[in-house]
Amino acid sequence: MADEALSRAGLHFDELNKIRVLEPEVQSQTSELKEECKDFVDKIGDFQKIVGTFIEVVDNVSKEVEKEKMKAIGSRNLLKSIAKQREAQQQQLQALIAERKMQLERLRIQYENLQKEESEQNEFIEQFILQK
Amino acid sequence: MLRCIDYPSCFHRSLCEINTSDDGEELTKLKLTAWSMDRNVETFTFMQLCLCLQGADDHTILKWNLVNNETTSLVKLPDDVFPTDMHWFPKAATGGGKKTGSDLFCLTSTDGKFHLIGKTGRVEKSVEAHKGAVLSGRWSYDGSALLTAGEDGQVKVWSRSGMLRSTLTQNSTSVYGVAWGPDSDQVLFTNGRQLVIKSLQANAKPTMWKGHEGVILQVDWNPVNNLILSGGEDCRYKVWDTYSRLMYSSSAHDYPITSVAWTPDGELFAIGSFNTLRLCDKTGWSYALEKPNTGSVFKLSWSSDGTQVAGACGNGQVLIGHILERRLEWSNFEATVTESKKIVVRNVLNETYDKLDFRDRVIKASLAFSHLVVATSSQCYIYSTKNFNTPMIFDLKEGNVSLIKQAEKHFLLVDVAGVYVYTYDGRLVCSPKYPGLRADILNSQTVCISNDTVAIRDKADEKVVYVFDALSGKPLGDGKPITHKLEVMEVALDHCGPAAERRLAIIDKNRDLYLTSVRVFGTDRKTVKLGTMIMSLAWNDATNMLAALADGKFTVWYYPSAVYVDKDLLPKTVFEKEASEFGKNPQLLQFVGNHVVIRRAEGSLVSTSISPYPAILHSYVQSGRWDDAVRLCRFVKDEMLWACLASMSAYAKELNTAEIAYAAIQEADKVQFILNIKDIPVKDARNAEMALLCGNPQDAEAILLQAGLTFRAILLNVQLYNWDRALELAVKHKTHVDTVLGYRQRYMEQYGKKESNKRFLQYKEGIEIDWEKIEAKIEMEYQKERERPERTPAPASSGGAPRSGGTGGAPKYPVRT
Repeated sequence: MADEALSRAGLHFDELNKIRVLEPEVQSQTSELKEECKDFVDKIGDFQKIVGTFIEVVDNVSKEVEKEKMKAIGSRNLLKSIAKQREAQQQQLQALIAERKMQLERLRIQYENLQKEESEQNEFIEQFILQK
Repeated sequence: MLRCIDYPSCFHRSLCEINTSDDGEELTKLKLTAWSMDRNVETFTFMQLCLCLQGADDHTILKWNLVNNETTSLVKLPDDVFPTDMHWFPKAATGGGKKTGSDLFCLTSTDGKFHLIGKTGRVEKSVEAHKGAVLSGRWSYDGSALLTAGEDGQVKVWSRSGMLRSTLTQNSTSVYGVAWGPDSDQVLFTNGRQLVIKSLQANAKPTMWKGHEGVILQVDWNPVNNLILSGGEDCRYKVWDTYSRLMYSSSAHDYPITSVAWTPDGELFAIGSFNTLRLCDKTGWSYALEKPNTGSVFKLSWSSDGTQVAGACGNGQVLIGHILERRLEWSNFEATVTESKKIVVRNVLNETYDKLDFRDRVIKASLAFSHLVVATSSQCYIYSTKNFNTPMIFDLKEGNVSLIKQAEKHFLLVDVAGVYVYTYDGRLVCSPKYPGLRADILNSQTVCISNDTVAIRDKADEKVVYVFDALSGKPLGDGKPITHKLEVMEVALDHCGPAAERRLAIIDKNRDLYLTSVRVFGTDRKTVKLGTMIMSLAWNDATNMLAALADGKFTVWYYPSAVYVDKDLLPKTVFEKEASEFGKNPQLLQFVGNHVVIRRAEGSLVSTSISPYPAILHSYVQSGRWDDAVRLCRFVKDEMLWACLASMSAYAKELNTAEIAYAAIQEADKVQFILNIKDIPVKDARNAEMALLCGNPQDAEAILLQAGLTFRAILLNVQLYNWDRALELAVKHKTHVDTVLGYRQRYMEQYGKKESNKRFLQYKEGIEIDWEKIEAKIEMEYQKERERPERTPAPASSGGAPRSGGTGGAPKYPVRT
């Protein structure tokens, strides 16, 4: 009876006969919930840690990717400009070659002329000897 | 970016150079490459480039000493002054003297001003000149005026102190380039695609012509060869003469031509473009091309000795080029300037090499007549080709030798101050001078030397040629120069024979070739025309043969003096050959022995040889071996050679040889005449007759009168129908008046004319013409001649032509009846 009266007044006794404001059942559920909550918080903490490292890793990767990307762009541009440089070099060399060709042509003409003169002189010498 | 650069002309023998730059870079030095070029007989050249990266802050002018590579900052300009052009005050204008304040340069800038800046860097004057930038500023050659051109299209002339004298023109476009004419009385400037020559005189009509397909960026006008050089945005460079005729046009380059510059001696020029430097001959073809990584070459400047060129480059560098590999050829020797202070001489016969080292830069070298003459910036070295170990060395007063001309016994040096003749021992013989001599613009066409004579074409009056004795330096004869009727373009002296027979070949403005004697005694100077359309000529080094290129033909006068002996013979002594194998506009460079070297228009050297016989004939004749000469001609059986011998012997009054030679070329009339001459007992009379044969009646008469052979002189004039002169002589000497009158009467009767000559009528009155008496008198004269003490019989004929029956000294004048 007393229990009933107490429970009406909102007081209960637990199995250790301690006086409680909550019903023992609720009490046990509450503590259960508390346990579960604690578990949950722990788990969430773990998750956050894991996610943190993951983000870090991904960040690093992205940085690397960015770097490589820049490198790629750079080398692509370099490639393009090298083609242009080569063109300019080629142009320069072509000009030099043309110059050399002209020199060669000059020398060829001179050489041919000298050969002609040599043959003329040989002819003259032969004739001269024959006349004697 | 470097915009302008200039070699100071006013520093005595200094090599410093000034440049401005308006951006900064590290100062480093690197050698670049070798340039190849070749030139002259002489195939010269490589050019070595030292490239100096120029370090400077903005707006500074740096002064470099190229000897010890010191760089000093000369002046720091205000931040808003960007220099565009600079030009040193010309050295010639200072007269070599040490006038104070003459060492300055003018600097033009983008703010429309030009500044006169002293050697120490003090800005002496800044003058507001143009609206917009001043693009170019040039001193005149005499230093009396400064020319500026600006973006506003104006060209202005300023006094030496910076006062405006006149505004020459007002164009609608910017004027990018200006240049002075050789006499500083004309100005060349650009007007878009046009080139304009304008005289400083007001109201003078300018010469204007379209030069390029694009805007013309730079021009230069050489005072020595009087040619104009232009370069433009159509990527071509062109060479013009002052009559706006195009002498050369280059093929299109890859980039616009940004700078052009003549060497001071006008033999070469340099062209600058983007990453390009080119060295060309004055005829336009290219000796060498260099592709330095310097960006555009905005300005080129030659050192006053013409061995180095400095360029202001787009990337802020200064580029310095040396001319190397200049090659000279003579006989079996080949000398090459391999480095700027080194010459290697190669003897082709035995493949030996001689290396000659010099203390200073080699400026000019000349190889001829068995001697190599090398002028460095301070000394002159003379090597004999027999021994290259021990040169004769002497110091030069001025460093800048602009020309060396050699003769067999001595050579001629030309520098800024004068003309000097030295022996091959290095002794100064003389220094020919005339008032108004401008040694700085002499070139190898306008000055020549032989063993005894120096000839210089005057600049002030181009019709005048001054001749000097090479041993004394004094003007020849009466001191009066040779005056031709037209402007003389080229002079050349022959090298052989006695001094009295020195001949000068002259090419005038019409390209006609004249031959004139240098030494004349009393008589008029005889100038004879030899040919037309002569492009170039050369005397032989060992004999007096003259070779020329004319109008598509290669011509050799085996004996040009024939024109003085027997004009009819001249065409027979000329060797002609088609010159088509030498291309268009070939240049004759050398005529050594029987070998002729010719440069084609595109630069290649070709050679051709002529028959060796004329040279042998010359040598026989020179040593008086007439029999050998005749034998040679008989052996060769060439009419040309016989004709040469005929005129040579006629000139030398060698009657027997002349008789044989004239007979061989079938000139019967002349043989007959010579036979007659032989029968004349008196030597002077024979000489006179020879003069007649050579077509010089005046000479003949002079000889006769001098020898006292009055009768012959009178008769000579009678024969020439020169009646007045005959009578004059007869009256003057009071003899044979009746003879003259008698012949005159006969002549008149023969043609059925009446005497109308007053003098003859006057003398006729008192004199009876009695032919018997006259003939007796004539016979007496001949008798007298035979009895003259100095009577020398003509040398016996060495056979050949059959003799006509001589009548022992009887006159062979065909007596007209």
